[in-house]
Amino acid sequence: MPQLRPRPAQLVTPTWRDHLRGAFVVFHLVAITAMALPSPQGARTPASWADPTVQEEIRAWAARLGTEPETLEETARTLAIAVVDAREALLGPLDPYYRYAGTWQAWRMFVAPHRFPARLHVDVRTDAGWEPLYVVGSPDHAWRSQQLRHARARALIFLAPWPRYRKQRARLADWVAREVAEERPDARAVRVRYYKARTPAPGEVAPEGRWVAVEERELP
Amino acid sequence: MSVLSTREDARPLAAFRVAVGLCVCLSIGSVIGADLVGPLWTHADHGGIQAVPGTALAQLLGGPTPAVMHTLAWLAMLGGVALVAGIGGRVTALFTLQVFLACVDTNGAARGGYDLLLANALWLLVLGGGTATWSTDARLRTGHWSDASATAGAWVRWLVLFQLLLMYWTTGLQKLSIHWIPGGDLGALYWILQQPTWQRFDMAWVGPLFPLTQIATLVTWLWEISMPLWAWALIRRERGQEGQLERLRLVEVYTVVGIGLHLVITVLLEVGPFSWVSLAYYTALWPALRRRRDVVRRREPARGAS
Repeated sequence: MPQLRPRPAQLVTPTWRDHLRGAFVVFHLVAITAMALPSPQGARTPASWADPTVQEEIRAWAARLGTEPETLEETARTLAIAVVDAREALLGPLDPYYRYAGTWQAWRMFVAPHRFPARLHVDVRTDAGWEPLYVVGSPDHAWRSQQLRHARARALIFLAPWPRYRKQRARLADWVAREVAEERPDARAVRVRYYKARTPAPGEVAPEGRWVAVEERELP
Repeated sequence: MSVLSTREDARPLAAFRVAVGLCVCLSIGSVIGADLVGPLWTHADHGGIQAVPGTALAQLLGGPTPAVMHTLAWLAMLGGVALVAGIGGRVTALFTLQVFLACVDTNGAARGGYDLLLANALWLLVLGGGTATWSTDARLRTGHWSDASATAGAWVRWLVLFQLLLMYWTTGLQKLSIHWIPGGDLGALYWILQQPTWQRFDMAWVGPLFPLTQIATLVTWLWEISMPLWAWALIRRERGQEGQLERLRLVEVYTVVGIGLHLVITVLLEVGPFSWVSLAYYTALWPALRRRRDVVRRREPARGAS
């Protein structure tokens, strides 16, 4: 049975290569730390600030800080844009290192729960009318679920209803239309849309939502 | 400079290499298996969802067409297998990194934190190698798969640890939502579990467990935001410094919380190979965790003698 205990480390005399390596390690640490520091992406997009999840956060923080939501939003927006501008200016020259060495850092993971999530629905229209093809989380309407429930597709589907991603949303609808047209000769049109509703609190009845980001395509 | 000049047992870095290779296979293999190379990584003119321009490497090979992107995906798989097998040292890591980036960077909207973490891991293997032992390279060099005398620069493993802790800490710094911060409703994890995009299955059953999710929210936030403490405990542990801090066993506590958190994420949420890639980085904790056991073993006979 081989010993799995790591052997003690050994200190060796530094060489010029160690010094060069030291300079590179310092550069690497500075580059990745600067890139990883918090950055409010999307701050320049007014529609992002209007999202109900963002507005709810602003109202809650304004109440906590004893200020008006409008004042807080204005201050936060100015500060956020200044941070994004400074970050871009500072990190721009390092772009090749991030791009070709794969050292990008963006760790905005679940930083704010989405209180008004949007659920993807894909519908098809035949001579008999509209019918659901795919509804997120539904075992009964699971068209292309192996693809649409993959983590990478989920990322794209999550972004699509946001105002900044209008083009991506339109192309997702184009793709769905192409695929459905191939599979369903009886299909006359497809519709890709999202049902946006506030997540119910524990024990609360699910609140009414609304349809957003609706894309419809007539099929040839 | 002492860390940069220190050579240590090569096995923790080799374990990291094997784990990263497996994660590359898992990440790319799942895309191939779900028949998503075409929809996600090729241009809309060739059947893809988006009008992706393609990375420089993809452009060099002819653009994001099905033939090019399928070739790149299979080359990335091959790179992952070669990493597991430990063939080719740094060159294999660099090759795998470039073909991996050519795949995942093609469509920015279909990328996750796991891609960034995996790309960083591959770059660290480019810097550090990782095939000194538990590898085909070792077999060719010594006649054995495992080379007991092999060493690696300690600095590489410290960069692996730094990357892991940097990710945790900066994600914690950005959790400014009123639902994360103590003093708010601590409902962040409850609300996240209700998000249809990332759910593995319906999570309405969590409602009656809301107080538990509040505790989990607080633990997660405190754990992430206090990462510098883990870093400090690790440095002290590896330097062999002992004291009050050691008695708290902070290195073990942080490790257990981290592993638990990743396992829960994997069970409840569909976030790709994020947990597995993160846990690959935990191989770098091996020397620190072993050192504690060695200290305890040294102490026990002494107590018995008195």
